[in-house]
Amino acid sequence: MDVWAQLVNGFAVALTAQNLLWALVGVTLGTAVGVLPGVGPAVTVALLLPITTKVDASGALIMFAGVYYGAMYGGSTTSILLNTPGESATIVTAMEGNQMARRGRAGPALATSAIGSFVAGTIATIGLTFLSPLVVELGLKFGPPEYFALMIVAFTTVSSVLGDSTLRGMVSLFLGLAIGLVGIDNQTGQARFSYGVPQLLDGIEVVTIAVGLFAVGETIYFASKMSQVEEKLEKLSGSIWMKPEDWKRSWKPWIRGTFIGFPFGTIPAGGAEIPTFLSYAIEKKLAKNPEEFGKGAIEGVAGPEAANNASSTGAMVPLLTLGLPTSATAAILLSAFQQYGLQPGPLLFEANAALVWGLIASFYVGNVMLLVLNLPLVGLWVKLLAIPKPQLYAGILVFATMGVYGMRQSPFDVFLLYGVGLAGFLMRRFGFPAAPVIVGMILGPLAEEQMRRALAISQGDPMIFVTHPISGGLLGLAVVVIVAPWLWRRFGPGARPA
Amino acid sequence: MAQARPKGQIAVSIGIAALGILVLAGAMELPAGGGYAQVGPGVVPRIVGGVLLFLGVLLLKEALTGGFRGIDEEAEVHLPMDWLAFAWVSGGILVYGLLVERAGFILSSILLFVAVARSFGSRRWLSNAGVGLAVGSFIFAVFNYGLGLQLPAGILRPILP
Repeated sequence: MDVWAQLVNGFAVALTAQNLLWALVGVTLGTAVGVLPGVGPAVTVALLLPITTKVDASGALIMFAGVYYGAMYGGSTTSILLNTPGESATIVTAMEGNQMARRGRAGPALATSAIGSFVAGTIATIGLTFLSPLVVELGLKFGPPEYFALMIVAFTTVSSVLGDSTLRGMVSLFLGLAIGLVGIDNQTGQARFSYGVPQLLDGIEVVTIAVGLFAVGETIYFASKMSQVEEKLEKLSGSIWMKPEDWKRSWKPWIRGTFIGFPFGTIPAGGAEIPTFLSYAIEKKLAKNPEEFGKGAIEGVAGPEAANNASSTGAMVPLLTLGLPTSATAAILLSAFQQYGLQPGPLLFEANAALVWGLIASFYVGNVMLLVLNLPLVGLWVKLLAIPKPQLYAGILVFATMGVYGMRQSPFDVFLLYGVGLAGFLMRRFGFPAAPVIVGMILGPLAEEQMRRALAISQGDPMIFVTHPISGGLLGLAVVVIVAPWLWRRFGPGARPA
Repeated sequence: MAQARPKGQIAVSIGIAALGILVLAGAMELPAGGGYAQVGPGVVPRIVGGVLLFLGVLLLKEALTGGFRGIDEEAEVHLPMDWLAFAWVSGGILVYGLLVERAGFILSSILLFVAVARSFGSRRWLSNAGVGLAVGSFIFAVFNYGLGLQLPAGILRPILP
């Protein structure tokens, strides 16, 4: 069947009343957690994972995906009005958008980021629609060695691109891999690292780790280090609509941002940080009056916001077609698929076409919903920012702890959650990124499976990874990703003589 | 600057290396061979443990030679640590774990809410307890009467519907 027919079938799934409702719940929740500091899409999807036992796969996944891209829209509202970027991908928006807000132009800043996100999200979804079948074709030719090599590339990029240090990124990744080892080995039934504790036999739940690192760790960190730091919430005054001049200055950056962000999302290169900075730099270079940048240039909000959104939609390509997550939230989405016994990858497009295409179609629908939620209704979300921090974090922790306890009704999990939270606090304190832990713990067991399958094919000869040209090339790439930053520091133009 | 911090960094590095040794020790008890694949359940744990140990040593080297690289010097890292706030959050969660099945979900949620709010400097005990009660009861109602799950009622059982 061709793409168009598949897409039409997908819309038939996405446009049922029930799935429209799930999409609406997802994007609304996503916008809310994107706006609120202290809680993000990763924690939210993790806390919602238990509903997979009650809701059918397409409904739940449509909702989870809505949380994922809805949070991108909501995050920009906070960056613009509060100047505290919720995540690294919105640093640029925080700089430029907050400057606009300080000059009484919060409205146009919010508008250009919402419309830009819509344009980028929609174009990127079109890209996802037509690129996915091609990647699926490619993916069908891959065997275990190629998949293993692809996963290694994803590991290295996720841990060396996110964060300031490849070494600390690798530490985070291997912590995640170690967590992924706990529990029963799914190929031999051997219990690993359970130390006789029955709760550990099933492995450590991703909910506990995600909520511990992102919600509990962040709360401990903010309470003990940041509670004295004052934040100034900019008022949303005047019209939120853009003047004709704003439109004229925004539309090209939207398009350029989209075409920078989407490719970065599709390759497993970890995160939307680089494309947003790239887009900012390009807009500054192309602007008629670059001196306005840093003082509230609308292009500096329009471009990076589009890039951010396009890249997060682009990240769905490797996730759906190859089963490769490139961010913490994408990794948790992958584990949501696993809850239903589904494994994202080329076979999913054949065996569960209605589900995948329904999900893709829901992206088109969700982006329209988000435009409505974030433009006319933006005032509503701004009110969320008025919740005082003590009560906000207290509420977040009550929900987070309930989610982890309620999962298995076991106080053991609450203590484990606190332990993970302490680890998250230490990681934050010493500059270790958290996302590689999540990616490592979810992708690790899959990579091990592919590795052992590949070695079964080669009868134990590890050369199979090098002699297969694609896998050899990918592994070479992974080595470059790790070694290049080090070589650059050592021998690059800025290197200090040893 | 560099003198004040490394103590913590050295401890973290040693912790990572120690974790690597722990994983390695556990891995040695798992069979590495066997099966058609000739790769048993012990192989990947050996790799993960070994690499963690290696990374811990690299971290230690960084910590001892001028501190971790690439830490943003402007960052919050240098803000003073508020141990009282730390204790309030920690106590809140641990007490929750101890009490949730005895005192029940709603009461432990109130305590957790008040403790976390206090850690952020809020001393409005009564109004915080009120909000905690509202949030806790809302979740309890949704789960126990809406979704048919069982969050523990605890000592409030006699008065709950």
